[in-house]
Amino acid sequence: MSDASFKFDKTNRSLMERLFEAPAIGKMSPVAKLVAYSVLIFWSIYVIFPIYWVLITAFKDATTVNGGPFYIPFVDFQPNLDAWRTMLSADPFCDGYAIFRQFGLLIHNAFAFIVSPLVHIDKMEPQICKVYLAFTNSVVIGVASTFLCVTIGSMAAYALARIEYKPKFGNIVIFVILTLMVILVTSYVGIKWYVTSAVALALFYLLARFFGKRFKAKLGNSDVLFWIISQRILPPIVVIIPVYMMFQAVSLLDTHLGLIIIYAVANLPIVVWLMHDFFAGLPIELEESAQLDGATRFGIFWDIVLPLTRPGLAAVTLLTLILNWNEYLFAVFLTTSKAITMPIMVAAKNAGERGTLWWEMCAVIVVMIIPVIFAAIILQRFIAKGVLLGAVKG
Amino acid sequence: MLSQKPGVPVSFDKVQKSYGAVRVLEELNLQVQPGEFLVLLGASGSGKTTALRILSGLETATEGRVRIGDRDVTDVLPKYRDISMVFQSYALYPHKTVGENIGFPLKVRKVNPVEREVAVREAAAQVQLDQLLHRYPRELSGGQRQRVALARAIIRRPSVFLMDEPLSNLDAKLRGHMRAELKHMQQSLGITTIYVTHDQIEAMTLAHRVAILEKGVLQQLDAPAKIYNDPANLFVAQFIGSPPMNIVKGALEGGHFMAQDAKVLVSVKGKIEKAVLGVRPEDCTITSAAKGSLKGTIYTTELIGDHTLVTLKVGSDYLAVKAAKDYTARSGDIVGVAFAKDQLYVFDASDGKRIR
Repeated sequence: MSDASFKFDKTNRSLMERLFEAPAIGKMSPVAKLVAYSVLIFWSIYVIFPIYWVLITAFKDATTVNGGPFYIPFVDFQPNLDAWRTMLSADPFCDGYAIFRQFGLLIHNAFAFIVSPLVHIDKMEPQICKVYLAFTNSVVIGVASTFLCVTIGSMAAYALARIEYKPKFGNIVIFVILTLMVILVTSYVGIKWYVTSAVALALFYLLARFFGKRFKAKLGNSDVLFWIISQRILPPIVVIIPVYMMFQAVSLLDTHLGLIIIYAVANLPIVVWLMHDFFAGLPIELEESAQLDGATRFGIFWDIVLPLTRPGLAAVTLLTLILNWNEYLFAVFLTTSKAITMPIMVAAKNAGERGTLWWEMCAVIVVMIIPVIFAAIILQRFIAKGVLLGAVKG
Repeated sequence: MLSQKPGVPVSFDKVQKSYGAVRVLEELNLQVQPGEFLVLLGASGSGKTTALRILSGLETATEGRVRIGDRDVTDVLPKYRDISMVFQSYALYPHKTVGENIGFPLKVRKVNPVEREVAVREAAAQVQLDQLLHRYPRELSGGQRQRVALARAIIRRPSVFLMDEPLSNLDAKLRGHMRAELKHMQQSLGITTIYVTHDQIEAMTLAHRVAILEKGVLQQLDAPAKIYNDPANLFVAQFIGSPPMNIVKGALEGGHFMAQDAKVLVSVKGKIEKAVLGVRPEDCTITSAAKGSLKGTIYTTELIGDHTLVTLKVGSDYLAVKAAKDYTARSGDIVGVAFAKDQLYVFDASDGKRIR
């Protein structure tokens, strides 16, 4: 046996070679395996332990929480349902049907809101049972704002990916000046906001029409895209006071509609940015072919483009849903009692004469986590690969 | 079986297209006869695809008018032009089955489902796809996908077919087969067809007439045989034919073409300082060094099958000659080349124009 082939004989390799060299292509060497799995195990514990801790704390009471860290139920401590009893049945409205009554109330009030210009329907007052109120609010606000955000955002992203816009720089300056004037006139002269806005819009239309042709400097789609994402660079805390004042002026404080709007607006840049990439990646021949076949622009979007971007859409929807579901800052500023969401409920367990009620807080957190897990499981089925297979080329 | 439909003429009238300062199509005038199979042939960047896309309505002409039948369609939306197009990439909808893909043009035109079903079956039968209607494009081979794209184009019975390099994604064997099917289908349907390709064999075999484009300019519009035997300029002469036409640089004097140490009798007269002599490889014969119009040394010999391709070195140029299949010679041998006198083409070297 020659020296050259000796090296490649598996049985004759040195210890170091056996430890550090992969046995075959596509496999890992023992040391690499050890490192990779150590990191994975560490990371898993890092991620899963807090959830485990919340889960067992939800079944503790004051003594077992304060008495020192107990890790394993039935061994370290005896779990009980005190926290759940307080949450679900402490006040008289929190019976088994309360949650259904709560959804009924929301539907009733939404209907009343929609038909209010035509018919007067008395609104129903929310129940005292706060957890149910917060949970149903979270569901309604989270789903509605996500739907709004993904619908508007993906249409905007598609338009930006496929249509070339050339907004004139001068027109943008006119728009900004008019917006400033609306704010000044509304705040200091005391004219109603809808009057000033309507006048400003009309003025903008006329000015842009008559002077727009003279402006030379133009912006492109990438500028529009950057402008949209730049809104997300500003932290929400900076704009929260102006938003509060605005909402006060248009009486959107402590309403579902108010939170739905602000959540949709806050997450729109993310949806536009992410979906733009998905749309831009679609082969344009598909749309051109559909155009020749006789489909309308909206028909192409609905029948060809949307089904093909379903994985992206599912991922973006899930992301937006989670962001909306967990949002705290806007909710704490803009709601007081009727439109509170789950994060507010969680935070409320923190401050009180009795200190932080960890066990009750954890029970609320558990309730809050469950729907997100279900949403993730449902949407994850759509986040599959290979949708475009067979579209173009072989 | 789909019935014949009277063909519709198509015309380009002084059509131009520019992107900013770049002009990709110069004043194109082109009349396509009813039921004609017209091939736009050119290298990439020649403007052939731009011309097709202007006809389809996916691009708008910077200037000029486009007519389909007796309608001016220059400013008409693609869907109202009564055309259908086959893309190079097929552009099948991957989330729809073969049947849904073929039926899509009828679905968006609100044809009722029963009628649509019948039409889909008929169109699928035309391209031998009737067994695969429930498959998805990803489950099909390249040739089958190509057929789906064809079926989707014929189901609507358009006035004009547009095809943008439909065969270039297929392998060589399948391409030959699909070429024959395409030609047969076009003949039996009688629909005016405009076909874009860079492949001269496709152009020569499929077309009634070939339009050769280069740098946005129409070079020649003629029947394939005429293009081959009577090229209008040096570009067309060299673009068509495989291997391409041989070129010898020299001067035209009287009835003779003068190269380095050769004097060839040609059928044109005149005096041009810088001229080019063109001769196709099959119009050259190898003779002994003493005879022949040119002298050269053998560079390589390649047995192609029905002939042997001999490459000669003449001065600094190379000359291809089609010799008999049993021709043998050693590299470095000095031989002579004789030309068939009536198969010589002389071009003006400055602008490439044919001297007649």
